[in-house]
Amino acid sequence: MDYIVDGFIKAFFLLIHLDPATTSAITATLKVSTIAMIISLTIGLPLGFVLGYFDFPGKRHIKTLVDTLLALPTVCIGLIVYALISSRGPLGDWHLLFTLTGIAMGLTVLALPIVIAITAATVENIDSELKLTLVSLGAGRRHILRTCLWEVRYGILAGVVTAYGRVLTEVGIAMMVGGNIKYHTRTMTTAIALETNKGQFADGIALGIVLIIIALCVNICLSFLRKQ
Amino acid sequence: MTLAPPIYRLDKIAHFYGDKQVLDIARLEIPKGAIIGLMGPNGSGKSTLLKILAFAMRPSSGRVWFNGTPQYPFCEAIQGNVSLVTQKPYLLKRSVFDNIAYGLKIRRPPRDLTQRVQQVMAEVGLNFDRFAYRQWHELSGGEAQRVALAARLILRPEVLLLDEPVASVDTRSADLIRKASLAARQNRGTTLVVTSHDLPWLFTCSDTQLSINNGALFATGQEITIPGPYIRSHRTGRIWTRQLDDGQVIQLPARVDSGRTALIQRKDIRVMGPEKMEASTDNQIRGQVQSMYMTGQHGDIMTTIDAGGISFMLGMTPGQAARLNLQPGTVVTLAFNSCDIRWH
Repeated sequence: MDYIVDGFIKAFFLLIHLDPATTSAITATLKVSTIAMIISLTIGLPLGFVLGYFDFPGKRHIKTLVDTLLALPTVCIGLIVYALISSRGPLGDWHLLFTLTGIAMGLTVLALPIVIAITAATVENIDSELKLTLVSLGAGRRHILRTCLWEVRYGILAGVVTAYGRVLTEVGIAMMVGGNIKYHTRTMTTAIALETNKGQFADGIALGIVLIIIALCVNICLSFLRKQ
Repeated sequence: MTLAPPIYRLDKIAHFYGDKQVLDIARLEIPKGAIIGLMGPNGSGKSTLLKILAFAMRPSSGRVWFNGTPQYPFCEAIQGNVSLVTQKPYLLKRSVFDNIAYGLKIRRPPRDLTQRVQQVMAEVGLNFDRFAYRQWHELSGGEAQRVALAARLILRPEVLLLDEPVASVDTRSADLIRKASLAARQNRGTTLVVTSHDLPWLFTCSDTQLSINNGALFATGQEITIPGPYIRSHRTGRIWTRQLDDGQVIQLPARVDSGRTALIQRKDIRVMGPEKMEASTDNQIRGQVQSMYMTGQHGDIMTTIDAGGISFMLGMTPGQAARLNLQPGTVVTLAFNSCDIRWH
């Protein structure tokens, strides 16, 4: 029991004194998750809108595919991205393996289906009167897209927060694609796994506390948005 | 005298939901500046027709001409020029001011935007200081309806389409909506097409009334619809009848193949005292006066007579009404010949 208490005390000092290894893991995590979210939102929001708003042949199959990707284990994503960016893979020349960019790429694959699926589901539930209203107010296609997304902003933001939470706490992709290199590609989750294996509970607990604080902030945001 | 050119011309419009045909209009012209009152039972095709007139949907077949040119949804010529207020208007999740200003903001907002919002809010009876910065969810049904109308009026559209604008509002809101709609026609020459089940309201604000039944349009000014179901007489095989809810029967003529609805000219129906009978008339049915109201244009009294569940709306002069001593509740006899009924 003492080692857990000692771990908490040491964790407190590590955070207070901004331990370089700890801050490096925190920075790497925030960097890759933010890049992954920006790319996922840029691609996922318009695709989700199209999937939710329009009726077209094959829509059901695409939705099934997106839903399947939602349940894809992160180690599978790690494996696929590893195969793509390793020196023998089709993107081997880009030298992305064991880099933060490589991890961000894998995390994008993880977040993209979440953003698409939640955007599509939210847009599908838009009141049918909204489009009629916008057409009546003289809105063109571009304004209809923008206003519809704005009208369901809280639903979509809840989806974004969910995707961000998933990306932030991911371990499989970061471990496989990033290689868990200290001061380089080590993220909070991979560091916790490693430090725990080494018996360095304090480092693991320190990072765990940060991760819990971020997760708490994310959930407070989510609960606030749901109230809206 | 020159007639105003039609703002709308509908040619061979048909619309289907799945296999069900909901609209079948061979031709319809709506003159510029007219106020058309559209009435008909639920599911008769009123809302579908309004959506087609609003270019919010394409008909399954046929063309809609607007100002002499065939137009389609999202055409530049109709953006902001044709505006529809639906029965349950959707307000954007923002303030009243932003809802009303939306249509102008997505174009180039005018410098006097606030003034224009103030002006249309006054037209629909909303106080700017009290309402402008209220959120969409802080409004009653009648206030929301008036905000939706103001959001259209600010665009100064050529055509304003109102789908059941007074269905769920109080009498004050209904009156304000009527006044604002009439003012739009008077001040800017706006053409209006209004649907409503509230016939007194519709008759006071429209100058032409059309009724729609099974997707087909009829000029209410002249014709009355005798809705089905129609039963074929087993004895002769040629004669059709319509059994009323109270057991009375209307004799109908032999049905033509394409005929779906029985119609009779209003002028062919005579209203008599309850005991009076005409030997030469084969249809004499009892009815009761349900409502009487002055129409807006000619000072006629529009009298609604219910006969076994069918409403006969007949216009009569105040003198005729006085001779028959008509008032709501009076029992009368309606006399008409089956040969005057035609199939459409």
